[in-house]
Amino acid sequence: MRLHRPPRFALGLSLAALVALAAIRPVAGQDATVDRLAKLDQYNRAAVELMLDSAATLGLPVSYLRSVAYEGIQRKADGRAIVRAVRKQFDLLKTARATLGTVDSEELTAAAAVLGAGARPNQLATFRAQQKAPSRLEAFAVWADLLTRGVPAEDAFSGLSKLWVDGADDATFLRLWKNVQSDILQGLNPGTALQNRIRETPVRASPQVKPPEGQQENQSSR
Amino acid sequence: MIDSEQHPYVEWIAREARRPVVTDPAARERVMAAIRAEPAPAAHVPLWRRIVEPRALTLSPAAIGLLAAGLVGIGVLAGGFAMNRDGRMVDQPRVGVAPQLPVSDTVVRFVLVAPQAETVSLVGDFNGWDASKTPMARAASNGVWTVTLPLSVGRHVYSFLVDGKWSVDPNAPLAPDDGFGHANSVKIVRRGSVL
Repeated sequence: MRLHRPPRFALGLSLAALVALAAIRPVAGQDATVDRLAKLDQYNRAAVELMLDSAATLGLPVSYLRSVAYEGIQRKADGRAIVRAVRKQFDLLKTARATLGTVDSEELTAAAAVLGAGARPNQLATFRAQQKAPSRLEAFAVWADLLTRGVPAEDAFSGLSKLWVDGADDATFLRLWKNVQSDILQGLNPGTALQNRIRETPVRASPQVKPPEGQQENQSSR
Repeated sequence: MIDSEQHPYVEWIAREARRPVVTDPAARERVMAAIRAEPAPAAHVPLWRRIVEPRALTLSPAAIGLLAAGLVGIGVLAGGFAMNRDGRMVDQPRVGVAPQLPVSDTVVRFVLVAPQAETVSLVGDFNGWDASKTPMARAASNGVWTVTLPLSVGRHVYSFLVDGKWSVDPNAPLAPDDGFGHANSVKIVRRGSVL
């Protein structure tokens, strides 16, 4: 476009418009790109980032450890406490990996939670041999919950490992958790509540038992 | 220097310049005939030619100012519509088309009963434990706070922030203390399930 008047005024306004737009868009997009670890002081941040790098090198879930740091920041925890928490989870992940072998990151973090709640690695190893079930997430979630609610570690392990070996599915573990939680809220001793509920929890028939001729295995009896 | 009064060529040039010009009376007719013989220009100019041909425009400073302000306004509006309040780009809503979630995501509904609460938000590993990112909405007058969001399949750890105080979900398994003195809640998201 050719203007009869020298376009200084237009150039100035156009420049102002560009500057305004450039200023608006970064402000709107800032939140998505801010690294929340920047809220830590440089030493603690460096310690956390070192562990994140180590986790990445070892193939451990970095996002989980980063999330732990974020949780600490949101809880306004001391920087050293955040570093300790991330290191503790890092160690738990390594132990879970050494115990279970190669599993996906979700199961690995769930297993780390079980260990963090008080289970021993040799107890966790019981769940390594079972490859039939598609996922151990529900079993590990219930296990960690029961330990957190005060169920003795031996009781929780014996009860849940029995269900697991018997082939209990996710729904069975979830139902057990709801029942035990309800009993605990009503004042029953956590260990007793679990033992009672384990006894009345039906599990599927042993896979070695062949169903009678012409009869399909009843999946709903799990 | 040459004296013009004594130079024969100067006299001759002056005489020629003063002589009246005699034109052929038919010359004008010949010129007009030649013009008429040329093809008339097309009445319809093609659109592409109108677009690409340069033309001169005259704008006053006030008009230039209005034009620039309009461009800024369009940019601001476009930026506002294209971003949500988290600053992430979002798709424009399309009439009659359901929002598409990533294949790995499942829509999950979180519910908390807190009749006395003024504000409730959801924090967890899915939103970087940022209290400002997932506020929950209160259902009318019954104290039930809900929020629905897409989560990836797997295990998620979360808590509620009720008026700034941390609270676990009474309807979900507990996750042990990460090292900050408080338990959280766990949600196991399966593919295709709506919890």
